Amino acid sequence: MAILALKSRPTEITPDADKSGAIELVRYVCAIGAMQTAAAIPRVVPITHCGPGCADKQYVNLTFYNGFQGSGYGGGPVVPSTNASQREVIFGGADRLRELIESSQLVLDADLFVVLTGCIPDLVGDDVGSVVRDFQKRGVPIVYAETGGFRGNNFTGHEAVTHAIIEQYLGPWDGVRERGTVNLWSLLPYQNTFWRGDLEEIKRLLEGIGLNVNVLFGPDSEGLSEWRNIPRAQFNLVLSPWLGLSTAELLARRYEQPYLHIPVVPIGARESGAFLRKVASFAGISVDVVEAFIAKEEKRYYNYIDGFTDFYSEYWWGLPARFAVIGDSAYNLALTKFLVTQLGLIPAKQIVTEDPPVEHREAIQAEFRAIDDDVSVDVEFVEDSYTIHQALRNADFGHKPPIIFGTTWERDLVKEMKGSLIEVGFPASYEVVLSRSYVGYRGALSLLERIYTTVVSHSA
Amino acid sequence: MVLNLKTSSVETREQRLGTIIGWDGTASKLADESAFSRGDCSGCGTKARRVCELEGPFTQGSVCSEQMVECQAGNIRDAVLIQHSPIGCGAGQVIYNSIYRNGLAMRGLPVQNIRFISTNLRERDMVYGGAEKLAEAIRLAVERHQPKAVFIATSCASGIIGDDIESVARTAESEFGIPIIPLHCEGFKSKHWSTGFDATQHGILRQIVRRNPEKRQDDLINVINLWGTDVFSPMLGELGLRVNYVVDMATVEELAQMSEARATVSFCYTLGTYLATALEQEFGVEQIKAPQPYGFAGTDAWLRELARVTGRGAQAEDYIAREHARVKPLLDELRPKLKGLKGYVATGSAYSHGLIGVLREIGVEVDGSLVFHHDPVYDSEDPRQDSLGHLIENYGDVRHFTVGNRQQYQFYNLLQRVKPDFIIIRHNGLAPLAARLGIPAIPLGDEHHALGYQGMVNLGESILAALQHRKFHKDIAKRVSLPYKQSWLAQKDPFALARAAS
Repeated sequence: MAILALKSRPTEITPDADKSGAIELVRYVCAIGAMQTAAAIPRVVPITHCGPGCADKQYVNLTFYNGFQGSGYGGGPVVPSTNASQREVIFGGADRLRELIESSQLVLDADLFVVLTGCIPDLVGDDVGSVVRDFQKRGVPIVYAETGGFRGNNFTGHEAVTHAIIEQYLGPWDGVRERGTVNLWSLLPYQNTFWRGDLEEIKRLLEGIGLNVNVLFGPDSEGLSEWRNIPRAQFNLVLSPWLGLSTAELLARRYEQPYLHIPVVPIGARESGAFLRKVASFAGISVDVVEAFIAKEEKRYYNYIDGFTDFYSEYWWGLPARFAVIGDSAYNLALTKFLVTQLGLIPAKQIVTEDPPVEHREAIQAEFRAIDDDVSVDVEFVEDSYTIHQALRNADFGHKPPIIFGTTWERDLVKEMKGSLIEVGFPASYEVVLSRSYVGYRGALSLLERIYTTVVSHSA
Repeated sequence: MVLNLKTSSVETREQRLGTIIGWDGTASKLADESAFSRGDCSGCGTKARRVCELEGPFTQGSVCSEQMVECQAGNIRDAVLIQHSPIGCGAGQVIYNSIYRNGLAMRGLPVQNIRFISTNLRERDMVYGGAEKLAEAIRLAVERHQPKAVFIATSCASGIIGDDIESVARTAESEFGIPIIPLHCEGFKSKHWSTGFDATQHGILRQIVRRNPEKRQDDLINVINLWGTDVFSPMLGELGLRVNYVVDMATVEELAQMSEARATVSFCYTLGTYLATALEQEFGVEQIKAPQPYGFAGTDAWLRELARVTGRGAQAEDYIAREHARVKPLLDELRPKLKGLKGYVATGSAYSHGLIGVLREIGVEVDGSLVFHHDPVYDSEDPRQDSLGHLIENYGDVRHFTVGNRQQYQFYNLLQRVKPDFIIIRHNGLAPLAARLGIPAIPLGDEHHALGYQGMVNLGESILAALQHRKFHKDIAKRVSLPYKQSWLAQKDPFALARAAS
């Protein structure tokens, strides 16, 4: 297998092709961070072939200091690593990797191993594919993805892992499609601080209109049996601005399986209803079923919103009017949509930080431009936090204190601006997150609680 | 052995000290095999390696030298750390920001974000080199933060592609007029992360510490530590001495004045060995050669040696007597409450030697410990610093003394062998396993917690608090499934795979 290009490249690598600059205070990690994508699948264990600190760095920062989520059954400190040394750099590390895979089978109780490479084997040119194929031939459930840190970030690494499992673990399939079953490709596990609760809520919504959901990642996934069932599903649902699209396209090529792409992760009743109607229409679910579910959800939702209305209309000491969102495109778009269309807040600055592939940027721009009938947003793509903070300082927040949806990095800045900070993305080191969700009907209510508890707690 | 400050790269721990990361036996056997050899280091030669090491086929993710550069050079208040690496090394900015902010708050300093810049090396840079990106990152660091110094952490990738970091740094230094300091800390170059401490200290010694100090500050003591609470100022204040905390939370000027100080101490010889030895070798700043300041025996000896070197014997004796009188009744109250408990220490090497002593002072049984590496000798080669020997002589042997590079899969077997009531831990990844076995942990984020006389009281109280957590842990222990095979969990020997391989 040829080296998998994780980042889309114009053509050849040339000295001028890459404009990426320095990054102060990171908002994503590198491709091998996708070890936690593997670990997000129940009973799957990643094996890392990399330097001694790589696995630790990725997991500690993604899973601990980002909402203190916990690192999962086979993730974090469980993850085997070659801890590559001078010897592997000089003489190559294929033998060491073989030894590690052999011994991993003696120690670890896993349904599937996913080998991920770091900078060292990718630079010295270890033939990891041939090592792993030997094990595959012997019937060991194992796949590999080349995820050297210089090749991309944990978003592209995530797609490399999903591709690896589909291409190397799932066999050919020519059975009958199971109507009403959907594969869900949405938020990036662990990078998104609230992914577990959010996937649970999205699954609940889809089940509410009668779908059977392969959620694939997290506590609500059945694990590898779900993955083996991927080709049987009626369709793939990509619920994010771009992440998961290449996986859906791979499945379309490989299994002629259709996919539905909805860029906006729904927050609140308006978007959740629109989302469910789109999915139902694509899946051929009867309108009655969908409308009945929506009505039931809205009854509960608006009952609480009705109570909130007293506060929202009558809180004497002022509520923020203008907001900024600094974060991954998925949550940025979802939050902006909700805050603009449902709360009537004014967007002051929206910055997308995960370095989306160039070919998807225009589509993301278009979504923000059409955020509401009367509101259009010019989104920026920036990864360097110093630049981001300068942009926030220069943004027009009017005469009221701003509310910033961002990360721990914004903590000092928001104090300086006398505003409120809601940590909604990596890194969120001042949030402890278990099952909390900010999406769908239920998540929207939690989000409102979080926003206005933060605002109110600033008063005397 | 003379430390070589002429080359830009530090010699690794395994080269200098014979450091190992795999061993299992009694503490006394390890001390016997170590180069200190219970007080006689005459046979060490220039390369100190003496101890046979266990090396197995299965390893879990460890920690690298670059992370230790982040946790020291990255925590200097008026400097910037550039990580010359792909973005993944920059992941560490998150944890070290959290630690830095908490550390600043504990010391009463203004809380602020860390200042780390990643050069964000990409595929193109692997082909064409990343020197230009490094030069640009240095320029950004200077423009944005007006730092007093800029540190550059190398990475596995920059090391393999062979970027000429030295010449970029030299050019920038002449352009900006501040120290631009390359720290060579490629993860693959040393099997143990503590080499990263030495890499940071090596760079500071070469480019920040004043080479020809015009004055001496005879009452100034360098204290090599991390981010712990300020327990040294009141203690050393009793002797009329002032504290110069290095490296974390220090300013560049505070680092520069290390050569003017009277003496150097540290809370842990694993951390401080290189810097303290080099300060003595290069500038005549005496390193205090004594046991570490833990428990009565260690703290007494440490204070007396510090007092001897600084000529403050009477003040020290007075302070020691007062502290003994103050602390003893407190410990007498604690000991019955702690009676019958068994503790387990899983920390860095020299730190563990100190903590075991404290546990035994307060009547807690210790028959096992895991240290993440072992240095058979420290850079001073002075047997008065033999922290493991001191532990054994003053507090007795430790039956199950294990050297292991933070391997969770072995930790299960280690705990089964000892069955402790609680563990004391630094570093991530092990306490979560213990928790799932029903064993609470005391995570020592503040490394000074158990230090000195008051430290014995502190630790005793922390144990009592942690024991209440057992309710939580016993509940979760019934409900978890561990990712390890039953055959491995049944294994009595944590090093079975290593022994089968050799």
